[in-house]
Amino acid sequence: MNYCKKLFVWMFLIVIGTSLVSAEPFVQGGPIGSQTSDGYDALGPVVEQPIEFPHNTHAGRMQINCMYCHTYARRSNVSGIPRLDKCMGCHNLIEGVKDRPRIKKLFEYWANKQPIPWKKVHDLPDFVRFNHERHIQRFYFQEKRPVRETCGYCHGYIASMTTARRVKALSMGWCISCHEKDHLEKVGSTVTSHGPNDCWLCHK
Amino acid sequence: MSLSNLIKNWSNFRTRRPYEGQYDDSPYKWAMVIDLDSCIGCNACTVACYAENNLPVVGKERFGKGHAMHWIRIERYWGEGETLETEFPERGAQYLPMLCQQCEAAPCEPVCPVGATHHSPDGLNTQVYNRCVGSRYCSANCPYKVRYFNWWNYPERAWPNPLELQLNPDVTVRSKGVMEKCTFCMQRLRAGMDKAKTDGRILADGEVVTACAQACPTSAITFGNLADKNSKVAKMWKTQQVDLAKNVQEKTEDGIRGYRILEDLNTYPSIVYLERLRNMAS
Repeated sequence: MNYCKKLFVWMFLIVIGTSLVSAEPFVQGGPIGSQTSDGYDALGPVVEQPIEFPHNTHAGRMQINCMYCHTYARRSNVSGIPRLDKCMGCHNLIEGVKDRPRIKKLFEYWANKQPIPWKKVHDLPDFVRFNHERHIQRFYFQEKRPVRETCGYCHGYIASMTTARRVKALSMGWCISCHEKDHLEKVGSTVTSHGPNDCWLCHK
Repeated sequence: MSLSNLIKNWSNFRTRRPYEGQYDDSPYKWAMVIDLDSCIGCNACTVACYAENNLPVVGKERFGKGHAMHWIRIERYWGEGETLETEFPERGAQYLPMLCQQCEAAPCEPVCPVGATHHSPDGLNTQVYNRCVGSRYCSANCPYKVRYFNWWNYPERAWPNPLELQLNPDVTVRSKGVMEKCTFCMQRLRAGMDKAKTDGRILADGEVVTACAQACPTSAITFGNLADKNSKVAKMWKTQQVDLAKNVQEKTEDGIRGYRILEDLNTYPSIVYLERLRNMAS
Protein backbone atom coordinates (compact mmCIF):
# COMPACT_ATOMS: atom_id res chain seq x y z
CA MET A 1 0.00 0.00 0.00
CA ASN A 2 2.75 2.34 1.04
CA TYR A 3 4.64 1.52 -2.17
CA CYS A 4 1.59 2.34 -4.28
CA LYS A 5 1.19 5.65 -2.53
CA LYS A 6 4.82 6.59 -3.21
CA LEU A 7 4.52 5.57 -6.84
CA PHE A 8 1.42 7.68 -7.21
CA VAL A 9 3.14 10.75 -5.73
CA TRP A 10 6.15 10.32 -7.98
CA MET A 11 4.05 9.98 -11.10
CA PHE A 12 2.12 13.08 -10.11
CA LEU A 13 5.37 15.03 -9.68
CA ILE A 14 6.73 13.83 -13.03
CA VAL A 15 3.58 14.92 -14.85
CA ILE A 16 3.75 18.36 -13.23
CA GLY A 17 7.47 18.61 -13.96
CA THR A 18 7.24 17.80 -17.63
CA SER A 19 4.41 20.22 -18.12
CA LEU A 20 6.54 22.96 -16.57
CA VAL A 21 9.56 22.16 -18.72
CA SER A 22 7.62 21.97 -21.95
CA ALA A 23 5.92 25.32 -21.29
CA GLU A 24 6.96 27.80 -23.97
CA PRO A 25 9.37 30.47 -22.75
CA PHE A 26 7.93 33.93 -23.18
CA VAL A 27 8.79 35.45 -26.54
CA GLN A 28 7.04 38.27 -28.28
CA GLY A 29 5.45 37.01 -31.47
CA GLY A 30 5.58 33.61 -33.05
CA PRO A 31 8.37 31.64 -34.71
CA ILE A 32 10.57 33.15 -37.43
CA GLY A 33 8.72 33.81 -40.66
CA SER A 34 5.27 33.50 -39.10
CA GLN A 35 4.07 36.96 -38.35
CA THR A 36 1.55 37.51 -35.58
CA SER A 37 -1.18 40.12 -35.47
CA ASP A 38 1.02 42.61 -33.59
CA GLY A 39 3.59 42.57 -36.41
CA TYR A 40 6.26 40.66 -34.48
CA ASP A 41 7.93 37.33 -34.92
CA ALA A 42 10.59 35.78 -32.70
CA LEU A 43 13.32 38.14 -33.94
CA GLY A 44 11.52 41.45 -33.69
CA PRO A 45 9.18 43.55 -35.75
CA VAL A 46 8.35 42.38 -39.25
CA VAL A 47 9.00 45.45 -41.36
CA GLU A 48 7.21 46.06 -44.61
CA GLN A 49 9.27 48.24 -46.94
CA PRO A 50 7.84 50.63 -49.54
CA ILE A 51 9.62 48.68 -52.28
CA GLU A 52 10.44 45.01 -51.88
CA PHE A 53 14.13 45.59 -52.47
CA PRO A 54 15.84 42.43 -53.80
CA HIS A 55 19.07 42.08 -51.83
CA ASN A 56 19.39 38.63 -53.39
CA THR A 57 19.77 40.19 -56.83
CA HIS A 58 22.14 43.00 -55.85
CA ALA A 59 24.34 41.37 -53.22
CA GLY A 60 23.72 37.80 -54.33
CA ARG A 61 23.61 37.44 -58.11
CA MET A 62 25.35 40.72 -58.99
CA GLN A 63 27.97 40.42 -56.24
CA ILE A 64 27.85 44.13 -55.41
CA ASN A 65 29.83 45.03 -52.31
CA CYS A 66 27.54 45.95 -49.38
CA MET A 67 29.48 49.19 -48.91
CA TYR A 68 28.78 50.37 -52.45
CA CYS A 69 25.33 51.37 -51.25
CA HIS A 70 25.71 51.38 -47.46
CA THR A 71 28.65 53.67 -47.88
CA TYR A 72 29.01 55.11 -44.37
CA ALA A 73 29.64 51.76 -42.69
CA ARG A 74 33.41 52.12 -43.00
CA ARG A 75 33.64 55.66 -41.64
CA SER A 76 30.73 56.30 -39.32
CA ASN A 77 28.55 54.93 -36.54
CA VAL A 78 25.73 54.13 -38.93
CA SER A 79 25.95 52.30 -42.24
CA GLY A 80 23.43 54.56 -43.92
CA ILE A 81 20.54 53.96 -46.28
CA PRO A 82 21.52 54.92 -49.85
CA ARG A 83 19.96 57.99 -51.38
CA LEU A 84 17.62 57.69 -54.33
CA ASP A 85 20.25 59.03 -56.72
CA LYS A 86 22.48 56.09 -55.82
CA CYS A 87 19.78 53.76 -57.17
CA MET A 88 19.21 55.93 -60.21
CA GLY A 89 22.91 56.17 -60.98
CA CYS A 90 22.80 52.55 -62.14
CA HIS A 91 19.14 52.02 -63.00
CA ASN A 92 19.01 54.95 -65.42
CA LEU A 93 21.39 52.94 -67.59
CA ILE A 94 19.91 49.46 -67.18
CA GLU A 95 17.32 49.39 -69.94
CA GLY A 96 16.47 45.71 -69.60
CA VAL A 97 14.62 45.93 -66.30
CA LYS A 98 12.86 49.28 -66.65
CA ASP A 99 9.48 47.65 -67.23
CA ARG A 100 9.55 45.67 -63.96
CA PRO A 101 6.97 46.81 -61.36
CA ARG A 102 9.57 47.48 -58.64
CA ILE A 103 11.72 49.60 -60.95
CA LYS A 104 8.65 51.45 -62.17
CA LYS A 105 7.94 52.34 -58.55
CA LEU A 106 11.51 53.54 -58.18
CA PHE A 107 11.21 55.82 -61.22
CA GLU A 108 7.91 57.12 -59.83
CA TYR A 109 9.67 58.28 -56.66
CA TRP A 110 12.39 59.84 -58.82
CA ALA A 111 9.85 61.69 -61.01
CA ASN A 112 8.00 62.98 -57.93
CA LYS A 113 11.27 64.06 -56.35
CA GLN A 114 10.38 62.04 -53.25
CA PRO A 115 12.80 60.03 -51.13
CA ILE A 116 11.86 56.41 -50.60
CA PRO A 117 10.62 56.05 -47.01
CA TRP A 118 12.68 52.99 -46.11
CA LYS A 119 12.07 51.64 -42.63
CA LYS A 120 14.70 50.65 -40.12
CA VAL A 121 15.09 46.92 -39.59
CA HIS A 122 18.11 46.66 -37.30
CA ASP A 123 16.96 49.19 -34.75
CA LEU A 124 18.91 49.25 -31.50
CA PRO A 125 17.57 50.83 -28.31
CA ASP A 126 18.33 54.53 -27.82
CA PHE A 127 20.72 53.90 -24.95
CA VAL A 128 23.11 51.84 -27.07
CA ARG A 129 25.93 53.12 -29.21
CA PHE A 130 26.97 50.72 -31.95
CA ASN A 131 29.80 51.71 -34.23
CA HIS A 132 29.90 50.17 -37.72
CA GLU A 133 33.25 51.81 -38.48
CA ARG A 134 35.17 49.96 -35.75
CA HIS A 135 33.86 46.56 -36.87
CA ILE A 136 34.38 47.16 -40.59
CA GLN A 137 37.87 48.61 -40.06
CA ARG A 138 38.87 45.65 -37.93
CA PHE A 139 37.41 42.73 -39.83
CA TYR A 140 37.21 43.96 -43.40
CA PHE A 141 40.24 46.24 -43.78
CA GLN A 142 42.61 44.86 -41.14
CA GLU A 143 41.84 41.16 -41.27
CA LYS A 144 40.77 41.14 -44.94
CA ARG A 145 37.76 38.98 -44.32
CA PRO A 146 35.17 38.82 -47.11
CA VAL A 147 32.57 41.55 -46.86
CA ARG A 148 29.70 39.06 -46.73
CA GLU A 149 31.24 37.38 -43.72
CA THR A 150 32.01 40.66 -41.97
CA CYS A 151 28.54 42.10 -42.37
CA GLY A 152 26.97 38.69 -41.94
CA TYR A 153 28.11 38.33 -38.33
CA CYS A 154 25.28 40.61 -37.33
CA HIS A 155 23.07 40.86 -40.40
CA GLY A 156 22.95 37.23 -41.48
CA TYR A 157 23.12 36.02 -45.07
CA ILE A 158 21.59 39.10 -46.66
CA ALA A 159 22.40 37.83 -50.16
CA SER A 160 19.66 35.26 -49.74
CA MET A 161 16.94 37.72 -48.70
CA THR A 162 14.85 40.22 -50.58
CA THR A 163 14.19 42.93 -47.99
CA ALA A 164 16.47 42.58 -44.99
CA ARG A 165 15.23 40.70 -41.95
CA ARG A 166 16.69 40.61 -38.49
CA VAL A 167 18.17 37.17 -38.05
CA LYS A 168 20.32 37.81 -34.97
CA ALA A 169 19.15 38.70 -31.51
CA LEU A 170 21.05 42.03 -31.28
CA SER A 171 20.91 41.73 -27.50
CA MET A 172 23.71 42.60 -25.12
CA GLY A 173 24.46 38.96 -24.28
CA TRP A 174 24.74 38.22 -27.97
CA CYS A 175 27.22 41.10 -28.50
CA ILE A 176 29.28 39.97 -25.52
CA SER A 177 29.38 36.36 -26.74
CA CYS A 178 31.47 37.58 -29.69
CA HIS A 179 33.46 40.19 -27.76
CA GLU A 180 34.65 37.49 -25.36
CA LYS A 181 36.09 35.37 -28.17
CA ASP A 182 39.68 35.71 -29.31
CA HIS A 183 40.01 37.00 -32.85
CA LEU A 184 43.16 37.13 -34.97
CA GLU A 185 44.53 40.64 -35.21
CA LYS A 186 45.76 40.54 -38.82
CA VAL A 187 45.88 38.19 -41.76
CA GLY A 188 48.41 35.44 -41.16
CA SER A 189 49.14 36.65 -37.66
CA THR A 190 48.85 34.41 -34.63
CA VAL A 191 48.27 37.29 -32.25
CA THR A 192 44.73 37.34 -30.97
CA SER A 193 42.72 39.84 -29.04
CA HIS A 194 39.12 40.10 -28.00
CA GLY A 195 36.64 42.93 -28.17
CA PRO A 196 36.54 45.61 -25.48
CA ASN A 197 34.16 45.06 -22.58
CA ASP A 198 33.95 48.46 -20.94
CA CYS A 199 30.29 49.39 -20.23
CA TRP A 200 30.61 52.91 -21.56
CA LEU A 201 31.83 51.76 -24.93
CA CYS A 202 28.30 50.81 -25.91
CA HIS A 203 26.08 52.32 -23.23
CA LYS A 204 25.67 56.02 -23.58
CA MET B 1 32.17 33.27 -10.36
CA SER B 2 33.31 30.31 -8.50
CA LEU B 3 35.00 30.55 -5.14
CA SER B 4 38.22 29.03 -6.47
CA ASN B 5 38.34 31.68 -9.20
CA LEU B 6 37.76 34.38 -6.61
CA ILE B 7 40.61 33.15 -4.42
CA LYS B 8 42.97 32.52 -7.33
CA ASN B 9 42.49 35.93 -8.93
CA TRP B 10 42.03 37.90 -5.72
CA SER B 11 44.58 40.53 -6.72
CA ASN B 12 42.65 41.27 -9.93
CA PHE B 13 39.53 42.02 -8.00
CA ARG B 14 41.40 44.20 -5.55
CA THR B 15 43.09 46.70 -7.88
CA ARG B 16 44.19 49.70 -5.91
CA ARG B 17 43.65 53.00 -7.62
CA PRO B 18 45.53 55.08 -8.29
CA TYR B 19 49.10 53.88 -8.26
CA GLU B 20 52.33 55.49 -9.47
CA GLY B 21 52.66 55.40 -13.22
CA GLN B 22 49.20 53.99 -13.73
CA TYR B 23 48.60 55.98 -16.89
CA ASP B 24 52.17 55.97 -18.21
CA ASP B 25 51.39 53.41 -20.92
CA SER B 26 47.73 54.23 -21.27
CA PRO B 27 46.72 56.36 -24.25
CA TYR B 28 44.11 58.36 -22.35
CA LYS B 29 43.45 59.74 -18.91
CA TRP B 30 40.94 62.57 -18.97
CA ALA B 31 41.52 65.44 -16.59
CA MET B 32 40.64 69.07 -16.10
CA VAL B 33 42.00 72.31 -14.71
CA ILE B 34 39.61 75.03 -13.57
CA ASP B 35 41.04 78.47 -12.96
CA LEU B 36 38.92 80.13 -10.28
CA ASP B 37 40.67 83.42 -10.96
CA SER B 38 39.18 83.47 -14.47
CA CYS B 39 35.75 82.20 -13.48
CA ILE B 40 33.21 85.03 -13.51
CA GLY B 41 30.27 82.88 -12.42
CA CYS B 42 28.31 83.47 -15.61
CA ASN B 43 26.77 79.97 -15.69
CA ALA B 44 27.53 79.49 -19.39
CA CYS B 45 29.04 76.08 -18.58
CA THR B 46 25.84 75.01 -16.84
CA VAL B 47 23.70 76.08 -19.79
CA ALA B 48 26.02 74.32 -22.24
CA CYS B 49 25.81 71.16 -20.15
CA TYR B 50 22.00 71.28 -20.11
CA ALA B 51 21.98 71.53 -23.89
CA GLU B 52 24.62 68.89 -24.52
CA ASN B 53 23.56 66.21 -22.08
CA ASN B 54 19.75 66.34 -22.27
CA LEU B 55 19.34 67.61 -18.72
CA PRO B 56 15.75 68.36 -17.78
CA VAL B 57 14.78 71.76 -16.40
CA VAL B 58 12.85 70.82 -13.29
CA GLY B 59 11.19 74.12 -12.41
CA LYS B 60 11.35 76.39 -9.40
CA GLU B 61 9.36 74.27 -7.01
CA ARG B 62 11.37 71.08 -7.54
CA PHE B 63 14.57 73.06 -7.56
CA GLY B 64 13.68 74.19 -4.07
CA LYS B 65 13.28 70.57 -3.03
CA GLY B 66 16.78 69.82 -4.29
CA HIS B 67 15.67 67.92 -7.38
CA ALA B 68 17.72 70.01 -9.80
CA MET B 69 19.71 68.04 -12.35
CA HIS B 70 22.63 70.33 -13.17
CA TRP B 71 25.69 68.17 -13.74
CA ILE B 72 27.83 71.28 -13.32
CA ARG B 73 26.80 74.01 -10.92
CA ILE B 74 28.33 77.29 -9.83
CA GLU B 75 28.79 77.37 -6.08
CA ARG B 76 29.08 80.73 -4.41
CA TYR B 77 31.18 81.40 -1.33
CA TRP B 78 31.65 84.52 0.70
CA GLY B 79 34.75 85.14 2.72
CA GLU B 80 34.85 84.72 6.46
CA GLY B 81 33.53 87.66 8.42
CA GLU B 82 31.91 89.26 5.39
CA THR B 83 28.45 90.48 6.19
CA LEU B 84 25.58 89.92 3.79
CA GLU B 85 23.49 92.79 5.15
CA THR B 86 24.91 95.39 2.83
CA GLU B 87 23.21 97.19 0.00
CA PHE B 88 24.42 94.61 -2.51
CA PRO B 89 24.69 91.38 -0.57
CA GLU B 90 25.54 89.36 -3.66
CA ARG B 91 28.69 91.34 -4.20
CA GLY B 92 32.05 89.82 -3.55
CA ALA B 93 31.12 86.17 -3.90
CA GLN B 94 33.71 83.68 -5.02
CA TYR B 95 32.61 81.25 -7.66
CA LEU B 96 33.47 77.62 -7.90
CA PRO B 97 32.17 75.41 -10.72
CA MET B 98 31.44 72.05 -9.15
CA LEU B 99 31.09 68.97 -11.30
CA CYS B 100 31.90 65.29 -10.93
CA GLN B 101 35.56 65.13 -9.96
CA GLN B 102 36.02 61.75 -11.70
CA CYS B 103 37.89 60.49 -8.63
CA GLU B 104 40.46 57.78 -9.13
CA ALA B 105 39.43 56.21 -5.83
CA ALA B 106 35.79 57.18 -6.09
CA PRO B 107 33.74 56.75 -2.92
CA CYS B 108 30.61 56.17 -5.03
CA GLU B 109 31.94 53.08 -6.77
CA PRO B 110 32.39 50.46 -4.04
CA VAL B 111 28.99 51.14 -2.48
CA CYS B 112 26.88 50.50 -5.56
CA PRO B 113 24.94 47.28 -4.89
CA VAL B 114 24.59 46.42 -8.59
CA GLY B 115 27.89 47.65 -10.04
CA ALA B 116 26.21 50.38 -12.08
CA THR B 117 29.10 52.74 -11.47
CA HIS B 118 32.64 51.66 -12.13
CA HIS B 119 35.96 52.93 -13.41
CA SER B 120 36.68 53.01 -17.12
CA PRO B 121 40.17 52.31 -18.53
CA ASP B 122 40.56 56.00 -19.46
CA GLY B 123 40.09 57.06 -15.86
CA LEU B 124 36.46 58.08 -15.83
CA ASN B 125 33.90 57.24 -13.23
CA THR B 126 31.09 55.78 -15.29
CA GLN B 127 27.38 55.44 -14.65
CA VAL B 128 25.40 52.80 -16.52
CA TYR B 129 21.76 53.80 -16.41
CA ASN B 130 20.41 50.41 -17.40
CA ARG B 131 22.05 48.81 -14.42
CA CYS B 132 21.11 51.43 -11.86
CA VAL B 133 18.32 50.39 -9.50
CA GLY B 134 18.12 53.74 -7.76
CA SER B 135 19.41 52.90 -4.29
CA ARG B 136 21.03 56.39 -4.17
CA TYR B 137 23.84 55.02 -2.00
CA CYS B 138 26.42 56.51 -4.38
CA SER B 139 24.97 59.97 -3.96
CA ALA B 140 25.00 59.59 -0.20
CA ASN B 141 28.65 58.58 -0.32
CA CYS B 142 29.77 61.33 -2.72
CA PRO B 143 31.61 64.04 -0.78
CA TYR B 144 31.11 66.55 -3.62
CA LYS B 145 27.36 65.95 -3.98
CA VAL B 146 27.51 65.85 -7.74
CA ARG B 147 25.28 62.88 -8.42
CA TYR B 148 21.69 63.58 -9.34
CA PHE B 149 18.68 61.36 -9.01
CA ASN B 150 15.72 61.26 -11.37
CA TRP B 151 12.83 61.63 -8.95
CA TRP B 152 10.35 61.99 -11.79
CA ASN B 153 9.95 60.79 -15.31
CA TYR B 154 11.14 64.00 -16.86
CA PRO B 155 11.04 63.34 -20.61
CA GLU B 156 7.37 64.25 -21.11
CA ARG B 157 7.44 67.04 -18.52
CA ALA B 158 10.66 68.76 -19.49
CA TRP B 159 10.41 68.45 -23.26
CA PRO B 160 6.76 68.67 -24.35
CA ASN B 161 6.26 68.25 -28.08
CA PRO B 162 8.02 69.54 -30.19
CA LEU B 163 10.83 70.33 -27.72
CA GLU B 164 12.02 66.72 -27.79
CA LEU B 165 13.54 67.53 -31.16
CA GLN B 166 16.24 69.56 -29.42
CA LEU B 167 17.57 66.49 -27.58
CA ASN B 168 21.06 65.27 -28.31
CA PRO B 169 20.72 61.87 -30.00
CA ASP B 170 24.15 60.78 -28.72
CA VAL B 171 23.03 60.91 -25.10
CA THR B 172 20.38 58.76 -23.45
CA VAL B 173 17.33 60.49 -22.05
CA ARG B 174 17.29 59.10 -18.55
CA SER B 175 14.09 57.83 -17.01
CA LYS B 176 12.70 57.83 -13.50
CA GLY B 177 14.61 56.08 -10.76
CA VAL B 178 18.18 56.24 -12.03
CA MET B 179 21.19 58.19 -10.85
CA GLU B 180 23.13 60.35 -13.27
CA LYS B 181 26.23 62.52 -13.25
CA CYS B 182 28.80 64.35 -15.34
CA THR B 183 30.39 62.09 -17.95
CA PHE B 184 33.11 64.50 -19.16
CA CYS B 185 31.02 64.55 -22.38
CA MET B 186 31.73 60.93 -23.13
CA GLN B 187 29.80 61.05 -26.40
CA ARG B 188 32.22 63.67 -27.75
CA LEU B 189 35.26 61.80 -26.51
CA ARG B 190 34.03 58.52 -27.95
CA ALA B 191 33.40 60.04 -31.38
CA GLY B 192 36.86 61.64 -31.35
CA MET B 193 38.60 58.49 -30.15
CA ASP B 194 36.89 56.41 -32.84
CA LYS B 195 38.03 58.82 -35.53
CA ALA B 196 41.58 58.86 -34.15
CA LYS B 197 41.71 55.07 -33.92
CA THR B 198 40.79 54.67 -37.58
CA ASP B 199 43.63 57.05 -38.42
CA GLY B 200 45.95 55.02 -36.18
CA ARG B 201 46.81 57.82 -33.78
CA ILE B 202 45.67 59.17 -30.43
CA LEU B 203 43.57 62.27 -30.00
CA ALA B 204 45.48 65.52 -30.39
CA ASP B 205 45.38 68.01 -27.54
CA GLY B 206 42.30 70.21 -27.77
CA GLU B 207 40.72 68.14 -30.55
CA VAL B 208 37.84 67.24 -28.27
CA VAL B 209 36.70 69.41 -25.39
CA THR B 210 33.75 69.12 -23.06
CA ALA B 211 30.70 71.32 -23.56
CA CYS B 212 31.48 73.37 -20.44
CA ALA B 213 35.06 74.03 -21.52
CA GLN B 214 33.87 75.00 -24.98
CA ALA B 215 31.27 77.43 -23.65
CA CYS B 216 33.46 79.12 -21.04
CA PRO B 217 33.90 82.75 -22.16
CA THR B 218 37.05 83.28 -20.09
CA SER B 219 38.64 79.89 -20.83
CA ALA B 220 38.65 79.09 -17.14
CA ILE B 221 38.13 75.39 -17.87
CA THR B 222 40.93 73.44 -19.54
CA PHE B 223 40.21 69.89 -20.53
CA GLY B 224 42.61 67.33 -21.90
CA ASN B 225 44.51 64.10 -21.77
CA LEU B 226 46.71 63.74 -18.70
CA ALA B 227 48.42 60.62 -20.07
CA ASP B 228 49.85 62.71 -22.91
CA LYS B 229 52.75 64.51 -21.25
CA ASN B 230 52.72 67.33 -23.80
CA SER B 231 49.07 68.23 -23.44
CA LYS B 232 48.11 71.56 -21.92
CA VAL B 233 46.42 69.89 -18.97
CA ALA B 234 49.40 67.69 -18.17
CA LYS B 235 51.71 70.67 -18.27
CA MET B 236 49.42 72.66 -15.99
CA TRP B 237 49.23 69.78 -13.50
CA LYS B 238 53.01 69.63 -13.52
CA THR B 239 53.44 73.38 -13.10
CA GLN B 240 50.98 73.34 -10.24
CA GLN B 241 52.88 70.40 -8.73
CA VAL B 242 49.81 68.23 -8.39
CA ASP B 243 50.37 64.50 -8.72
CA LEU B 244 47.37 62.32 -9.55
CA ALA B 245 48.57 59.42 -7.42
CA LYS B 246 49.36 61.41 -4.27
CA ASN B 247 46.92 62.57 -1.63
CA VAL B 248 49.36 65.04 -0.06
CA GLN B 249 51.07 67.28 -2.58
CA GLU B 250 54.57 68.52 -1.96
CA LYS B 251 54.86 72.09 -3.12
CA THR B 252 58.45 73.20 -3.45
CA GLU B 253 57.70 76.71 -4.64
CA ASP B 254 55.66 79.55 -3.21
CA GLY B 255 52.69 81.07 -4.97
CA ILE B 256 51.44 77.84 -6.51
CA ARG B 257 47.67 77.97 -6.75
CA GLY B 258 46.72 74.44 -7.79
CA TYR B 259 44.79 72.24 -5.39
CA ARG B 260 42.27 69.47 -5.50
CA ILE B 261 39.08 69.68 -3.48
CA LEU B 262 38.75 67.48 -0.38
CA GLU B 263 41.99 65.76 -1.21
CA ASP B 264 42.38 64.63 2.39
CA LEU B 265 39.47 62.22 1.89
CA ASN B 266 41.77 60.16 -0.38
CA THR B 267 39.45 60.42 -3.35
CA TYR B 268 42.22 61.39 -5.81
CA PRO B 269 40.09 63.69 -8.00
CA SER B 270 40.89 64.35 -11.66
CA ILE B 271 40.17 68.07 -11.48
CA VAL B 272 42.66 70.66 -10.29
CA TYR B 273 41.36 74.03 -9.19
CA LEU B 274 43.54 77.12 -9.30
CA GLU B 275 42.97 79.31 -6.28
CA ARG B 276 41.53 82.79 -6.75
CA LEU B 277 43.84 85.76 -6.34
CA ARG B 278 42.55 89.15 -5.34
CA ASN B 279 44.21 92.44 -4.49
CA MET B 280 42.41 93.35 -1.34
CA ALA B 281 43.26 96.98 -0.55
CA SER B 282 41.13 97.29 2.55
